[in-house]
Amino acid sequence: MAVLQKETEPKLKVPKQKRINWKKQLVHLFLLPALVLFIWFQLYPILSAFLNSFYSFQGMRRGEFVGLDNFVLLFTESPFKETFSRAFGHNLIFFVGTIIFKMAVAFLLALLINSKIRGKEFFKTVIFLPKLLSVIVVGFLFSLILNPTYGALNTILQFIGLEEWARPWLGDPDTALYTIILVNSWYGLGFSMLIFLAGLQAIPQEIYDAAKMDGASGLTMLLKITIPLAMPAIMVMSILTFIGAFETFELIFAMQGSQAGPYYSTDVLATYFYRLAFGSVDGGESIGLGSALAVVLFLMISSATAVLLFFFKKKEFEQ
Amino acid sequence: MRRVGVWLFSAVLMFVLSGCSGGGASTSAPAEQTPAAQQPQPAAEEAKKDPVELVMYSWRPEDKEAYEGFIAEFQKMHPHVKVNFRSFKSTEYNTILTNSLTAGSGVDILQLRPYAGAASIADAGYLLPIDDVPGVADIPQSYLDAARGEDGKVYGVPLFINSAVIFYNKQLFQDHGLQTPTTWEEFLQVCEALSQKGIIPVAQAGKAAYLLSYTHNVIGTSAFGGEEYVEKLLSGEVNFTDPAFKESIKRMSDLVPYFPKDFIAIDDKDAQALFYTGKAAMYINGSHRLETFENLNADLPLDIMPALAKEKGGETPMINWVDGSYGIAKATKHPEEAKAFIQFLASKEFGQMFSDQLNRLSAIPGVVPQHPMLKKMTELSEKSMTSYMMLVHFSEGTPTTKTTFENSLQGMYIGQLAVDKVAEDTQASLEKWFQPKK
Repeated sequence: MAVLQKETEPKLKVPKQKRINWKKQLVHLFLLPALVLFIWFQLYPILSAFLNSFYSFQGMRRGEFVGLDNFVLLFTESPFKETFSRAFGHNLIFFVGTIIFKMAVAFLLALLINSKIRGKEFFKTVIFLPKLLSVIVVGFLFSLILNPTYGALNTILQFIGLEEWARPWLGDPDTALYTIILVNSWYGLGFSMLIFLAGLQAIPQEIYDAAKMDGASGLTMLLKITIPLAMPAIMVMSILTFIGAFETFELIFAMQGSQAGPYYSTDVLATYFYRLAFGSVDGGESIGLGSALAVVLFLMISSATAVLLFFFKKKEFEQ
Repeated sequence: MRRVGVWLFSAVLMFVLSGCSGGGASTSAPAEQTPAAQQPQPAAEEAKKDPVELVMYSWRPEDKEAYEGFIAEFQKMHPHVKVNFRSFKSTEYNTILTNSLTAGSGVDILQLRPYAGAASIADAGYLLPIDDVPGVADIPQSYLDAARGEDGKVYGVPLFINSAVIFYNKQLFQDHGLQTPTTWEEFLQVCEALSQKGIIPVAQAGKAAYLLSYTHNVIGTSAFGGEEYVEKLLSGEVNFTDPAFKESIKRMSDLVPYFPKDFIAIDDKDAQALFYTGKAAMYINGSHRLETFENLNADLPLDIMPALAKEKGGETPMINWVDGSYGIAKATKHPEEAKAFIQFLASKEFGQMFSDQLNRLSAIPGVVPQHPMLKKMTELSEKSMTSYMMLVHFSEGTPTTKTTFENSLQGMYIGQLAVDKVAEDTQASLEKWFQPKK
């Protein structure tokens, strides 16, 4: 027995590869700068928002611990509950509108550029160009174009005899939100198109050749080959569009200000958060309520993104 | 050997990183820590002191040039103090200021929003009281109320008195044989006459809802009465659903035909352009716009009217308020120099320079306005004056009652709220925070 034990003893030793390789571990040190930045600029604000959401604030002064009171206020008290549901509805419209105006158009453009047309590089560049501008600049430029007094759009409409179409695009509650969705779609079209184009270019030509030999029509190839095989790109864009639609702020702020007028007709959750946390020119901020809304927004986006990811992964496996 | 090299590289990296953070600290360190040998040694006593830099925040980028002149005057007395005037867009100012104050760095002298705006920052403990600064006690108490904390201490030196007025184009009025209106009925008649001639009567912008508030003050005050009515509101004797207040809202609704087409979609700059190009005859805003118009079109035949009277021959009050003050951030590393600067801002010399160069009514006693229109405003204020009710008394709550009222007016103009609902929403907002005076 003792002999046997002696024989097996070397096998019980720590395997050589499990010894800490300090040289390799040292690599982790290089993550430190990025980690510090992440903690300081990402984690710390998120955690402080979580913490602040449990406190009352008088102006900028943190008051007592109030538990979930801020969350209860957000969903039960006027005008907070009405403002929340209205802003949430606008975010949903923003998401659906962006899917229709940006993703669908970007996919069609990607199909066009992926086909054998001349000057595809030129079109690709032109469509991507707006993305190089700052959102604030885009907002400012479109505010000028859409100005009801001297804006280019209404002037052109009047010039070509369509004066009855001319309207205060950003001052009419029936058109203001949709106008901003269109501007946002125009701005992000190029990026979506490039993602789709990358997905389309990854589809092997042999599959199309084989389908053609089998007599498949263009539409059949689009529905049976192109769309299913471009699904990973579509999934990525859907998730990014969802997150973008629920985080949207800059363009609305640039075009309509933090009050997201007229009379909240372009108000979304992020502009509502901004007003709650920072108030207006005359004050009226409530950091506790603003933080509670930020937490709700964070939980909403992260959980919905997780569900979307799960759904798309499942779809991917099924294929 | 390679391992040693990697360790050495890591050590150097850590050293560089710590050096970077240390660098930041050293730049923000008080100037007193700088070795005296490195400082210049001017002859004047003040200049012997170590150089100090004060950072000053303002929401008036358009005043930058004038402030550089004021600061140069201050530096003649305090050559060792450099004041760095940093201005931000008014609509973004509160956010930037909040971040600076909570971070505890970046600002020494700050422009404070009047009344509740200043009080909320003072009550949060971000400001130094300035009651002991020479000159502050000489300023009228009612002006100091614009920057008073709940502890009764003063936290800001009031900058200037703003007045909601009707600017009008004298030439257009003369050309069409129109007299300046003094009552609501006359105002409507003048608007109708101008409208018939193809002139926009009032260059009103509605994209930013707060602009509607100025007009409501000038037009509506005579519907509900001035200071007497405010006292009734403050005591709880009446509230915003009172018929007199609703009448003031109805007047705003009645003015729609006399505002520019699609006015709810145009911003203030567009409205100003309509006025100074002569397309519109009147423009309602704060008296601070006097300087704007003089810069844009010095030949504009400009004059002002105060708020409307209740009846013909009655009082036409000036709607006045203190528009901002300057305070000291508690986190300042240079409180003595900051107080010296505040003392300068509270001096008659500064008040006179400020009034002369920026065409505004100074809050500092003894300042005599030179501009004829400022003189007229002062005279009118001496005859009759009332406060900007919403700003002075009702700018609390989340959102503030003032903001709720202004946005509700916007809602009325786009057809989503009736006159009664505007009044009810305003009252509902008030009831969230307001306790009537006993």
